[in-house]
Amino acid sequence: MAIEIDTRPIWLILALKAVRPVFFVALGLVFLLVVQMPTPAGLTPAGQNAIAVFMLCLVLWVTNAVPLAITSLFAIVLVPILGILPSKETYGLFGNEAVFFILGAFILAGAVMHSGLSNRIALNIMQRYGDSPKKLLLSIFLLAAVLSFFMSEHAVAAMLFPIVLEISKALGLKPGRSNYGKLIFFSLAWGCVIGGVATFLGGARVPLAMGILKETTGDTIGFLEYTIAVLPLVVIMLLAGYFLLTRLYPIDITGVDSAHDVLAKRLKGLGKMSFPEYAVGCVMALTIVAWMFLGSHLGLAAIALSSVVALFIFRLVKWKDIEEYVNWGIILMYGGAIVLGAALDKSGAAKWIVNETVGQWAGHPWTVFAIFSLLAILMTEAMSNAAVIAVLLPVSIGLARSLSMDPSIVTFAIAVPAGLAFMFPMSTPANAIAVSSNYVTVSDMIKGGAIMTVLAWIVFNLVAAFWWPLIGMGY
Amino acid sequence: MGKYLDNPAALKIDLMLRGIRMEDPVVKAWACGCSGVDILLPQDTLVNIPCREEFTKGSPYLIKRRGERYFITDGKNEVPVKLVQRPAFYGKRTATGVPFSEIASVHGSYTVVTPSKRCDFFNRSIECKYCAGNFNVDGASDRVYSVDEVTETVEAVLKEGASRIIYLSIGFSPGDDGGIEFLRPYITAIKKNFNCLVAVEALPPKENRWIDETYALGADSVLYNLEIFDKELFEIICPGRAAQIGRKRYMEALEYAAKIFPNGTVASHLIVGLEPPGSTCMGIDCLTDMGVVPVLPIYRPSSEKDLSISPLTTEIIIPVYKHLYKAVTKKKVNLNWVRDLSMVTTPAEIRGLVDESRGGLMESFYKSKIGMKTAWGLSSLRRKLRVVDKDPDPSSEH
Repeated sequence: MAIEIDTRPIWLILALKAVRPVFFVALGLVFLLVVQMPTPAGLTPAGQNAIAVFMLCLVLWVTNAVPLAITSLFAIVLVPILGILPSKETYGLFGNEAVFFILGAFILAGAVMHSGLSNRIALNIMQRYGDSPKKLLLSIFLLAAVLSFFMSEHAVAAMLFPIVLEISKALGLKPGRSNYGKLIFFSLAWGCVIGGVATFLGGARVPLAMGILKETTGDTIGFLEYTIAVLPLVVIMLLAGYFLLTRLYPIDITGVDSAHDVLAKRLKGLGKMSFPEYAVGCVMALTIVAWMFLGSHLGLAAIALSSVVALFIFRLVKWKDIEEYVNWGIILMYGGAIVLGAALDKSGAAKWIVNETVGQWAGHPWTVFAIFSLLAILMTEAMSNAAVIAVLLPVSIGLARSLSMDPSIVTFAIAVPAGLAFMFPMSTPANAIAVSSNYVTVSDMIKGGAIMTVLAWIVFNLVAAFWWPLIGMGY
Repeated sequence: MGKYLDNPAALKIDLMLRGIRMEDPVVKAWACGCSGVDILLPQDTLVNIPCREEFTKGSPYLIKRRGERYFITDGKNEVPVKLVQRPAFYGKRTATGVPFSEIASVHGSYTVVTPSKRCDFFNRSIECKYCAGNFNVDGASDRVYSVDEVTETVEAVLKEGASRIIYLSIGFSPGDDGGIEFLRPYITAIKKNFNCLVAVEALPPKENRWIDETYALGADSVLYNLEIFDKELFEIICPGRAAQIGRKRYMEALEYAAKIFPNGTVASHLIVGLEPPGSTCMGIDCLTDMGVVPVLPIYRPSSEKDLSISPLTTEIIIPVYKHLYKAVTKKKVNLNWVRDLSMVTTPAEIRGLVDESRGGLMESFYKSKIGMKTAWGLSSLRRKLRVVDKDPDPSSEH
């Protein structure tokens, strides 16, 4: 247990402790007030209750007063109790394909990590291509990004962190002072963040968005279709990130021989490539190919879970090895968010909110796209990217319908920027890991991150405006 | 009246310094196997008087019995005293057959529980020079009592009402944690099973996070015993403490602990008689400045070695105790925690030497049964408020 002793005066601690019960009582009262107040014109009683639940969850997700998963479970409880949706339908929504896709992706990524394959790939690439400071930096940056194409960016950051830390120590880089120290940890964090939006696998937020989209509209976005749409953004942001980093922190070392020794030692420690590594690698490669070419036909979740079954049939992993990689909290959170999204849509609440709020001034599809992508990219700096999607997507889909926009476009407008958190350590675990190294300070992160955030929003909107029409998409 | 017989605080100091002679068989039986005999002086002043050491043979004091009553006499005058009842649990054993008296001994309001008598200083021949019989610590040969054995002992202590504060004491063990990792299961088990206060006497850990951990685990009081304030004498008399921990770290750890634990619950022993009184007074000032309670045991020379300064008389050391009382009151250090100890004269007892008052209402309250329960409740509440779990909740991750 990591503990800390609060040495502030007891009266202050007591006062602060009292804030929590007062907060919950106030939240409960506001919730009851919204439920009990006269139903506004154009809104059904079920829609009014759905808005009350949505507001409650919005506050709890934003403040993180209870774990995200618990807020989601609360939503699942409230939706049938308040008569928004029948019980059977509510709990049935939890069995959404996206939830099972996320589960499968967690297990597959866990198998890759447990086998040691991801570690081996990382070490090999860094050793082979990182023979100068510039090349080593690039290889860390690109490695973090490319690995995040295939597994959760959080897992990639956690996996690469000890290797990068060892490299920084071997090079004798001084925490807080060394530019190269800042560069390699920024590369790790930003590589993961940028790479994480490239496919469905970089984080669970895109599958969540797909789940909400499917439940509310019946539409889906294919694995390959998504990646093709987003790839230019990823490439441009990687180039921009590298350019910005090397301008902000010019490389201040001349050689990386000692880092090479560390990598060679670590690689030697792994021994020769084992059968499980080969086998898990093959399963993963086949899974990705299947997602790309059979995803729309078989369903992404079915492919993911089939691969999981194969891993166990061939005894490539054991359940106890995998369990620690499965974040059940996130799975619960996503299930609840999908239920809430469907509740808002089916009760007519989403449409009503849109008409009463953003619908008044969001007159053109491109303004809708620009505003929602801006909201998503700003909100994700302060709150969970999954919460951003849960909060914004149902409303934006409603708005898209009223403007005859393709709902999948607004899904992109929220799902992609929700993953682009550059500014704060609390925005995403990859940033937190970089700051925890002590090489990157919070002010460093805000300085560089602010530029990257603005850049990312502009590039994303430009990609949507100029690239998407070329591939048959667009608003 | 004799020189000190009319003042219990002064008499306690004089008795601890000079010891007592015994002629009554009941008292002799009480003291059998113990380093001293526990006597209650007037004004409920508890004292453990040396009676077996060589130096006690020349003591002017004699304990004698008249009818059912006991008296201490200096040959001319006498004062009525009470023989403290020997705890009944001393005669009982754990389920595994270990006598409870081997694991625990009552010292007034505290019961000292020693889960392990090992001290690695002995194995490295850097033990404290005075440490022949303080807590009977030894090298690696002694056994370690299990959590169940210690819990059973504590249950016996509390059931009998022998005391409400359990004082866990250990010797030096290599490692950064000062012995807290070793004590963790004992503290956890005691706190889980009983509503009692727990004091921990350990070595200062290398990092302050272990002090946080000690408090979070359930320790209500902590003691890092510096023993000697004088830098050179500290290195000579306590070579292990000086080499393995260092005087500077003692000071840092005490200062930090005083910020974490409640006022008056962080204490440090300064042994009177092993360094000049002026040096002890400087130590008192230094510790009280940090909010630490200096506890001043009097050195008891053994038959093999006598390290005491000379001359060491009550006249010389009473001013040191008076200085202690003035220092703790000036720095507003709470006196309700360190009190009623038989082995040392506490600051609260010295009040009688300085202004002859009997202590306030709060002091009497905290001595009562309900007062002890209140202290336990407040201490638990304080910990609940102050300890913050920093473990991230994985379900809150982005």
